[in-house]
Amino acid sequence: MLPKYIRNFSIIAHIDHGKSTLADRLLEITGTITKREMKEQILDDMDLERQRGITIKARAVSMRTKVDGQEYEINLIDTPGHVDFQYEVSRSLACCEGAVLLVDAFQGVEAQTVANAYAAMEHELTIVPVMNKVDLVHARPDEVKEEMEQTLSIDPDEVLGCSAKTGVGCKEVIDAVIARVPAPAGDPKATFQAMVFDSHYDEFRGAITYVRIMNGTVKKGQKIKFLQAGTTHDVVELGRFTPKREAAKQLSAGQVGYLICNIKSLGQVHIGDTVSVAIGEPAEMLAGYEEPKRMVFCGLYPSDGQDFEQLREALAKLQVNDPSFDFEPETSDALGFGFRCGFLGLLHMEIIQQRLEQEADIDLVQTAPNVTYEVTTKSGEEIEVHTPQKIPDQGDIEEFRQPIVRVSFVLPTDYIGGVMKLCADRRGEYVRTEYLSPTRAMLVYDLALADVVYDMHDRLKSITRGYGTMDYELLGYQPAELVRLDILVKNERVDALSIVCDRRDSEIRGRAVIKKLKKEIPRHMFEVALQAAIGTRVIARETISAMRKNVTAKCYGGDISRKRKLWDKQKEGKKRMKSIGQVDIPQKAFLAVLETGEEEGKGGVKQRG
Amino acid sequence: MTSIETSRAAYLHVPFCVHRCGYCNFALVAGRGDLVPTYLEAIEKELSRQLGEPREIDTLYFGGGTPTQLGAIDFAKLARLTRHWHPLAEGYEWTVEANPADMTVEMAQAMADAGVNRLSLGAQSFRAEKLKVLERDHDDGQIVRSVELARRHGMEVAIDLIFASPGETLAEWQADLDRAVALLPEHISVYGLTYEKGTAFWTRRKRGDLVEADEELQRAMYELAIERLTEAGFEHYEVSNFAIPGHRSRHNETYWRGDEYFAAGPGAARYVDGVRETNHRSTTTYLRRVLAGESPVAEREELDNEAKARERLIFALRRLEGVDRREFLAATSFAIDQLAHDAIEKFARYGMLADDGQRVKLTREGLLVSDAIWPELL
Repeated sequence: MLPKYIRNFSIIAHIDHGKSTLADRLLEITGTITKREMKEQILDDMDLERQRGITIKARAVSMRTKVDGQEYEINLIDTPGHVDFQYEVSRSLACCEGAVLLVDAFQGVEAQTVANAYAAMEHELTIVPVMNKVDLVHARPDEVKEEMEQTLSIDPDEVLGCSAKTGVGCKEVIDAVIARVPAPAGDPKATFQAMVFDSHYDEFRGAITYVRIMNGTVKKGQKIKFLQAGTTHDVVELGRFTPKREAAKQLSAGQVGYLICNIKSLGQVHIGDTVSVAIGEPAEMLAGYEEPKRMVFCGLYPSDGQDFEQLREALAKLQVNDPSFDFEPETSDALGFGFRCGFLGLLHMEIIQQRLEQEADIDLVQTAPNVTYEVTTKSGEEIEVHTPQKIPDQGDIEEFRQPIVRVSFVLPTDYIGGVMKLCADRRGEYVRTEYLSPTRAMLVYDLALADVVYDMHDRLKSITRGYGTMDYELLGYQPAELVRLDILVKNERVDALSIVCDRRDSEIRGRAVIKKLKKEIPRHMFEVALQAAIGTRVIARETISAMRKNVTAKCYGGDISRKRKLWDKQKEGKKRMKSIGQVDIPQKAFLAVLETGEEEGKGGVKQRG
Repeated sequence: MTSIETSRAAYLHVPFCVHRCGYCNFALVAGRGDLVPTYLEAIEKELSRQLGEPREIDTLYFGGGTPTQLGAIDFAKLARLTRHWHPLAEGYEWTVEANPADMTVEMAQAMADAGVNRLSLGAQSFRAEKLKVLERDHDDGQIVRSVELARRHGMEVAIDLIFASPGETLAEWQADLDRAVALLPEHISVYGLTYEKGTAFWTRRKRGDLVEADEELQRAMYELAIERLTEAGFEHYEVSNFAIPGHRSRHNETYWRGDEYFAAGPGAARYVDGVRETNHRSTTTYLRRVLAGESPVAEREELDNEAKARERLIFALRRLEGVDRREFLAATSFAIDQLAHDAIEKFARYGMLADDGQRVKLTREGLLVSDAIWPELL
């Protein structure tokens, strides 16, 4: 296939704007897959993705279609839509010349529409703007076009309308991709050069390496070299995704496909690596990908200490398919041996946890998420801290810095006041307001990432009745009045419950945490004192009174089995609790630190456990 | 302990009641007197199939439901067939639970004729208002008359009382205790009212329609009972049970010692040959199954020796005399410390258990919160 008959593109959209549905229609229209074979959202092949209706991992599919008698190869590289996965988005975009920017004709431009469109523009991709769901009664195509023009300088005349659900206008999307997206620039005769943009592990075939051929041609049986890794392999099989793997004799410049090279471990395949020839002068190394930034951290501990090794294996296995997630062993007095894990964001964190529980069947205790802090100590030492319990004592800190993000909120204008108040409460710094249309605006604030991670998304949804969306980018670290808030249970500090917060919030937070703990910790035979403290200064306290009467009155012949089973169950429950001193603390209590002290806006992650 | 020959106790469940009281979750049928003939037939069948041949026992217990709901004639029939299958050994104890409202001269006579020597009266209270809340259909006069009838027919008397009913005060509870003591029964059981899932009280409490007595009051009431009854000469020998020395419920002690026992009737639980079985709780299902020649057993479990020993340890500790290390070892071939050394040491440190090196028993404080101890002994 000559490069001029190839088009490589992604679909970028805000979550729920219909990206996967459109992908399904395109596959159908091009005859890549028949309706009968069509499973809903074929590209989302992980269970979890299907459950959540979001695409996490980049996937690729190759379609063929004829225009005026000429056959074209159209490669769709799928991208995740959520802000946490910006890293994967850019990976996908680097393999494309164009992007279909899909916007819901009712919802309009949302925060991630803007973020993804900017990312595509940065990669100098040609944008094909498409409005989805134009058949909806509430669609407001003219206003949405205006929003697209306002925010992204898109020519309203170029905007296509379609209904991915019914298929109306979808053929036109393909035509526009062929007409507007430039053909890949590579030369099939040049030295072979390909970009590794993804990989996955197949039990029978080993590593499946996803590549975009930039230049030259690769053939079955050829010796190839991963330039960054420095390893050479024979190409055992290659081909395209249609969307199942379909073997081919060769792949050439501009094409997207896979290589199977008898590689037994995914660890040997580096995303962003360049593949070239093993014999003779290799091609130039391509600019790889930016290392993903881990923004959110939490501790993951096996409920049962016996499962530590099993957890390590499970984490390693997940990391293989998701290098954006990171983990290292850590120890907690309260929770024993576990891992400190770094994630791209909160959603990413939730997904990894769910996947761990589903795929590895390990019962987990999770500590509240936190961000990375920078501390300059009085002795001039610079430290980066991912764990609140490792923050030095107050007296040893010269400067305490936290990550600040620029947050863009897109929302109906009616809710501007509410969101501004929310940001002001969180000591956000106002940047600007942009009106996308008379009824919708983009509000930009600089906020502490810790506050954003904490509950911003839930609060935004609640204030805007679900209509507001947000996106953020890291600006850098700024000094702040931060303190480490410790929680003491029966006079013992529970390391896993320490949090970092703004000094001005510490009392409210401290009170909220111990109030929640009071609810979560069962009564004991003795009184249990709960305290929140900064250093040695106690700022809040509660007491769990001792159990006064707990005795089964009737225990005769018929009651014995039932009672024994009940007590057995209680024993199992107790085993899953963590003992600090003499106090048994249920796992759920370790999320108590997420309590805000406000009435609404509770983080979704808290429901776990 | 593992042979059928060793079971020396039998329980018989009589599921009939006029009305299901709001707090009751026992296996019973209300207002189905028409089922009595079928029930008698089923009991006969179950006993004959289960036992094969008559088995002599030392203690027999008719519980309910309300055994006295049968009336004198049917009671006599049930007594006759039970005694056929379970001949009573010399010096036996035969208890029948009775509703004070049912205790007529005829009933007392029928019991005495059959050989019943212990009447367990479901008095619950002497106060009209409390009896009404508890949905009981008797009054204090009927309790007094029942005790007199029992005495006249040579039966010992056990009285059941409930405390911590909605709205009850400590003084009211004391009055109930005093009236019970004044009747000079050999035995008194006191039960804190519990709200069981599936009962009307459970739902009413959830709705806010009934207010559970607060924990401090419940504790005070329980402690008051212990104080009053021991002062009156009763021995507090199990969590809820008090007896004049020499008059403990021998039948119930079978359960708490971990000994085996036979049982028949809907929802009845037996422990024979190391196997625990519970019959189906629904009276109609029970009847249908037995009469169709099927087994009425709904649940069955067989514990290994260690689990048996642990269970025994707990139920034995619920008896206030506690557990003697040597006796326990001899009975179970497990040493207490092998099973629960750490837990016993811990609870002794908390002051919940008293351990003199030979005998382990609950302290007063431990008794009050003993349910928090048991899971750690399993």
